[in-house]
Amino acid sequence: MKPLGPTRLILMTAALSCCQAAFAHGPVFDCYLEHDDQVKCEAGYTDGSSAVGRKIRVQDARNKLLLEGSIGADNTYTFQAPAGDYTVLFLGGDNHDATIQSADISR
Amino acid sequence: MTFTRRLFQTLAGATFGCAACAAQAHFQMLYVEDTAPQRGDKLEFALVFTHPFSGGPTLVMDKPRAFSQVSAHGSKTIDLRQYLRPVQWQSRDNQATAYRASIPRELMRSLGDHIFVLEPEPYLEAEEGLYIQQFTKLIVNVGGVPGDWTEPQGLPVEIQPLSKPYANWTGGVFRAVVLADGKPVPFAEVEIEYLNHAVDIEQNSFGQAAYVTAPQASFNAQSTYADAQGIVTLGLPRAGWWGIAALDIGATKTHKGKPLSQDAVLWVQARDMVPGKDSGIAH
Repeated sequence: MKPLGPTRLILMTAALSCCQAAFAHGPVFDCYLEHDDQVKCEAGYTDGSSAVGRKIRVQDARNKLLLEGSIGADNTYTFQAPAGDYTVLFLGGDNHDATIQSADISR
Repeated sequence: MTFTRRLFQTLAGATFGCAACAAQAHFQMLYVEDTAPQRGDKLEFALVFTHPFSGGPTLVMDKPRAFSQVSAHGSKTIDLRQYLRPVQWQSRDNQATAYRASIPRELMRSLGDHIFVLEPEPYLEAEEGLYIQQFTKLIVNVGGVPGDWTEPQGLPVEIQPLSKPYANWTGGVFRAVVLADGKPVPFAEVEIEYLNHAVDIEQNSFGQAAYVTAPQASFNAQSTYADAQGIVTLGLPRAGWWGIAALDIGATKTHKGKPLSQDAVLWVQARDMVPGKDSGIAH
């Protein structure tokens, strides 16, 4: 089995970190690069419930807020990739937050 | 199984000098290594028409009529035929034309269910003068967000899962509905076969060693029937791949002037429950 990379660990942690009773409602979050350095992030939950309207924050390496937005009707949020390292936070509610680092965002 | 197909498979078993082959089924494989990845990545497919329990013999495939993906968001069907390439698949006893496909990450990045559908060209059992066409489905889930895994795909024949085909523990039970033209097929004849050999997808081959030994030929492909509502129920006693085929359920009964059996195939992956490091349970 391949070792888990940081992003996989983040995704797994996001899915597993909530309490046992809430397994039916774990957050899932991922981002990837599209054309023209647009970053597209998708969010959802393991029970299929919608993430529409949930907040997304983009922060730089010093946790300075660069961007803030909301998950759209297609369960995605797209933004222009900032210069330098950054972090994308999905505020999934009820401690269902998930984070991805820019180093783990690729095409 | 129709009498004609059963007779042919018996003859095929005799032809290949393998008594155990007599009760095995033809199965259209649509194989990937992992149907439940944490994150979307490029996906390597093997499309092999074979006998999965015995690791062959493999049958020659013509270029598929259709190979498509319904994306995770369900809004579009992607034609994947451009990614198909013929290969010579090495099975235990022979080599035959199969297909590989490398699906780029761009098509697999979205979270949720990606539904893959293969419509092969009918295969001619030359000795018997009979065509077989197996409409085959495989569902890959990225990240754990559920999607349209249970939705029928509008095929002439198909197996509609009632359980997620990518999220099954070893020892669990799997349920599905056999459909023809979108309607349940009561008492459809169903065969279930375990992929009993390792797949070396880079080498386009099956491993020589079998995982398990059947006590008798009738264990190679298990036979059952759907119930009055067309629902088929099976156990998954071992980790790995299980193929489910509903036989000769299509409305189209002839092809090029010969009998045609339109079958529906679905592949299900079972995983062992592995204790966590902190569980206190000995591994």
